[in-house]
Amino acid sequence: MIKTEKVLHLKSSRGRKVRVVREHYLREHVPCYSSLCQAQCANEGKVLSGEVTHYVMPDAGVARDFMEILEFREIQGIVFTQTACQAVQHSRGRRQYNRLRSLLKDPRHHCILFANEFQEYSYCPREKGEPQDKWQTRCVYHAAVWYHDHLAGLKPVVMITEDQNAVAEYSSLNCGVYVLCTQEYLQTFWPELQAALELYCSIAQSLQEKGSEGTEREYTEHLPAEVLEAGIKSGRYIQGTLNVNKHRAQHEAFVRFEGSSNKSSELNSDVLVCGGKNRNRAVHGDMVAVELLPKGEWRGRTTALTEGQGEEKGDETQSQPMATGRVVGILQRNWRDYVVTFPPKEETQSQSRNSQRILATPWDQRIPKIRISTQQADKLQDHRVIVRLDSWDSTSLYPNGHSVRVLGRAGELETEVQTILIENCIHVPPFSEAQLGEMPVSSPESPWSVDPAEVITRRDLRQTHLVFSVDPRGCEDVDDTLSIRSLPPGPRGERLELGVHIADVTHFVKEGSLTDLEARARYAMSVMWDLDAQTLAVNTVWYGRTLIQSSYQLYYELAQALLNGEEAEVPELGTIRDAKLAQLTQALETLTHVARQLRAQRDKGGALELEGVEVRAQLDEDRNITALVPRQPLEVHETVAECMIYANHWVARKIQESFPQQALLRHHPPPRQEFFNQLQDSARARGFTIDTRSNKALADSLDRAVDPRDPLVNRLLRVMATMAMSNALYFSTGACPVDQYYHYGLALDRYTHFTSPIRRYADMIVHRLLTAAIAMEKGAGPAKALASNKELEEVAQQINNKNRAAQHAQKVSTELFQCLYFRDKDPETDERCVADAVIYTIRANGMLVFIPQYGLKGAVYLKNREGQVVSERQDGGCDWQTGSLQRYLDHITTTTAVGTSTFNLFQHITVRISVEPSRCHSDTIRLEVVSNRPHQAPETQVQTSQPQGARGRSQLVQEVVRQAEEASQQAEEKRGRASKLSTEEREFRQSKCPNLYSLLEEVRELALLDLAACGAGGGGLGAAAQACATSA
Amino acid sequence: MAGLELLSDQGYRLDGRKAAELRKVQARMGVFAQADGSAYIEQGNTKALAVVYGPHEVRGSRSKTLHDRAVINCQYSMATFSTAERKRRPHGDRKSTEMSLHLKQTFEAAVLTNLYPRSQIDIYVKILQSDGGNYSACVNAATLAVVDAGIPMRDYVCACTAGFVDETPLADLCHAEESGGGTSLALALLPRGGHIALLQMDARLHQDHLETLMEAAMTACKGVSKVLDEVVRQHLQEVSALTGE
Repeated sequence: MIKTEKVLHLKSSRGRKVRVVREHYLREHVPCYSSLCQAQCANEGKVLSGEVTHYVMPDAGVARDFMEILEFREIQGIVFTQTACQAVQHSRGRRQYNRLRSLLKDPRHHCILFANEFQEYSYCPREKGEPQDKWQTRCVYHAAVWYHDHLAGLKPVVMITEDQNAVAEYSSLNCGVYVLCTQEYLQTFWPELQAALELYCSIAQSLQEKGSEGTEREYTEHLPAEVLEAGIKSGRYIQGTLNVNKHRAQHEAFVRFEGSSNKSSELNSDVLVCGGKNRNRAVHGDMVAVELLPKGEWRGRTTALTEGQGEEKGDETQSQPMATGRVVGILQRNWRDYVVTFPPKEETQSQSRNSQRILATPWDQRIPKIRISTQQADKLQDHRVIVRLDSWDSTSLYPNGHSVRVLGRAGELETEVQTILIENCIHVPPFSEAQLGEMPVSSPESPWSVDPAEVITRRDLRQTHLVFSVDPRGCEDVDDTLSIRSLPPGPRGERLELGVHIADVTHFVKEGSLTDLEARARYAMSVMWDLDAQTLAVNTVWYGRTLIQSSYQLYYELAQALLNGEEAEVPELGTIRDAKLAQLTQALETLTHVARQLRAQRDKGGALELEGVEVRAQLDEDRNITALVPRQPLEVHETVAECMIYANHWVARKIQESFPQQALLRHHPPPRQEFFNQLQDSARARGFTIDTRSNKALADSLDRAVDPRDPLVNRLLRVMATMAMSNALYFSTGACPVDQYYHYGLALDRYTHFTSPIRRYADMIVHRLLTAAIAMEKGAGPAKALASNKELEEVAQQINNKNRAAQHAQKVSTELFQCLYFRDKDPETDERCVADAVIYTIRANGMLVFIPQYGLKGAVYLKNREGQVVSERQDGGCDWQTGSLQRYLDHITTTTAVGTSTFNLFQHITVRISVEPSRCHSDTIRLEVVSNRPHQAPETQVQTSQPQGARGRSQLVQEVVRQAEEASQQAEEKRGRASKLSTEEREFRQSKCPNLYSLLEEVRELALLDLAACGAGGGGLGAAAQACATSA
Repeated sequence: MAGLELLSDQGYRLDGRKAAELRKVQARMGVFAQADGSAYIEQGNTKALAVVYGPHEVRGSRSKTLHDRAVINCQYSMATFSTAERKRRPHGDRKSTEMSLHLKQTFEAAVLTNLYPRSQIDIYVKILQSDGGNYSACVNAATLAVVDAGIPMRDYVCACTAGFVDETPLADLCHAEESGGGTSLALALLPRGGHIALLQMDARLHQDHLETLMEAAMTACKGVSKVLDEVVRQHLQEVSALTGE
């Protein structure tokens, strides 16, 4: 190594200029990471293949401004220089730099980093007085020359730059090393990659526009980072994430604290940020620092329901004044890709002097309008487009962005689904050839079969155990099976053996491969308990890899029918043979018995039975939505779910014991008490008290809160309790104190996810951990180093984030389908648009209602924009009349000339459902009061509506059919993706999804139904699986 | 400068070293004729000067005299120009007192003090340029000075720092790495026997990692000891050539 020195001029903490001398060591051998290397470089990990036509080396400016183009997977053979990387790090901040880092790590992207500044011959020291960008360009050029020479001239190297002078200066110096402009490069080498060129133009234009900004200041400047840091430490500023109120996006935003910075005890709630000036260019999701305003200027949050955004309301609807502040600086931008819609033509012409700049409205109401420079505005009328934000200067009222990709015409189903996915950051790139190639093949010609070598290492349960699966009807991805049998009596009495067998996916998915699981004879990971038949105390537990043969593939309805002793056709039996059927029924009965007892045990510990609102769309033969039906759980759902919970629990115990520092568990933190306020208030209205001190107390008081006349009351209370819950989260045991392992909803001290490795990546990690634990027990150390606590915690965070995104996508897609269902129905005439609703919360100008028939929740306004209120006629029907509105704790009254009408909490009313179309955002469901009496629905409504629905297809629903094929394709991708998360090693090929509905149900499934985690009796498995069943 | 990436994904540190590589060490012995022993060392950009007087009879208050061994007196100071910002550094400030004490402890463990009862050995160390690892540069310089003075020691005392970034131990931290907020551990070792003369760590570190970190620091110390040994041998050759033996 050679030691040199580098002189830097830095600023000290006090702002003084300081001259710093740093050492800089150079070495001869710096790996080039190219497979063409002639000098035996120590190339480890990712290596550039020699099969590309050339290598491309972006200079610092290109890497800084045009990284998005380099992210195209089609552009191969990119060599990033260290100089360029450092430029990105310094000028674009950590976020951008991390993006570059993950790009470099991702094996699907064909790019590597060459540490040119540590190479003896490619390093060029900065000369005195040389401008930085000149020096960087020179460095990159020298690196390009070195690289070319190092590979003995086998590959031409192209350096791309935005600096015309550099092109002129360097292009003819060396043969084999070309210097080109980015645009020229894209045109010459990637002419077929039109999207890249378009993106280039879009970015270049927005960069150009940036130079010619006005100087009028619209916002106060942000404070520098050091001042913010010091301010946060001293408690002067508060650090937190900005959350914009969706309904009042322009006016209200809240800042949620980040734990430790909250020193002053008086601030236990969020900080309100009122208006755009106070928000000071912060965008929803950004990490900001806020300064509190003097107490005199504090304001309350608006409690009125608002229709649409931007509607001004008087101050009388505000709650108690709360801490109010203004944003002084932004610590971390959290910008993502946004979907926007361009305004119609008339508007664009009137609004701007400069026709190239257009204000586009984001789909997400919480995001401000984005200014985009484009020449395609006319072409993109009524299209949804992905944009990225570039900057937001204090001189500009709106942020600047550039367009990335066109999604399609607004209103089309494909576009809307894409929108939901992108808005939730779910990316669904197709599997690459290489990934598909890693799967074992199972085709009619070469059927997959059990490997004899594997048989020896596994416990063979094929002959000894009656194994069966219970899944939704038509489900092709059977990953969990059950077995139960009596054992010879032991010293302490009768014994039972319960077994849960989960497909051994990790056997197939070693390092990122996919597999189509063969459903019958196959490998499994099993947990088997030796139970006492009476007390169900666990005698021994056995974990291990097994070989099973599933005798029966049951579906829920069938299993339930068997249990009920009804006549049922078991396909596997063909002509029913009584003895076998009796054996199966016997097994199911024992299982149900065991599950009941297990459930009772958990109930004693305080497990919660919560309620989520779930609807499934019923489809006819043409796959049209004919009805929205709330799901009806069967007992067998609970039975299966209980076994799975039990298996998860015991596996969690096992891996936590074996790996106290690095096991992936799932915990459910107790909810914050203030979230229960609404629940308690509502319950009080009906004379119930809800005790929320512990999960046990909550469960008991919920059980007591039953209104014999109206079963819905209890259900709604449970729904509200569910809403108060915090989310269950994955975590690594090393990152969390032991007392926080507790699962609040399930009332278990250890919990993890083990039983659905096909659908969830977390389960795969757990499977690997369990395998390692078993291996350790046998005396062998783990085959390879397991993920460390830190890595595991990162993975857990990633899964949690994706989980949250999937959950949200699921919610939005449910809404999409509800809109879809009602969209073609005329609310005035169609009787299906009139339904019974229950009031569950009272607000200042209306109330929130729940419609059990459709599982729909929504707001009902009692006061419209003209100030009119709803009044009741003699017959119970309702009109709009001028009048006033009075809100009480448990009811709301309207007073008009005609009379007074009262709406009580938990009262049944009749509402009309209509769809309010929206251009830029998603359509919304709108509810209107028809009568404040219960709806007199004809008994046969749902049944009769089905044939009608088949006839009354809307255009949009027809589109469902047309696009079912593409959608199923996409569903498959998404399934892979969502379970795929951060690294690349998790994809599965599974059954074809029949239609778009199941696509969205997939999302629901992947959301891992935290409902289940909250202990909703049926559990996520049953619920999610049932959703699948409807597609059959 | 909170956002510096101390260890890149490719395994390079800020200055181009790999995790276990030391900075360049250069040293000279016998730089002053006045003193009994003296040495100058450069560890990267950290430069230190050490001077040894003694053993001589105890000066100042007689009460300090020990009857079975020699008293070791250490003084540590930093030049005003040693850091990026010029700063007057009065004697006896908290930091240098602490450093003096550490040096004293280190050398009491290494020097065969029982050979010189009722006497005193003075070790003065000055940092001329500071770029991280001041303590270890001082120990290494002082070792050479003690050797130069001809005072018998059990072994060389070699010191080196080690830090912990991204689950990887880094040897011989420079200033940017030390101030980066991570853990820094200073270790003084008697390499032949593997005895630790002094171990100091101020920041937090997970217990599980301590062993790897100490391992790395010890390896680094052994690397330093090799360099010091070479310096001593070369110095000896030069001196013996001069005296004509």
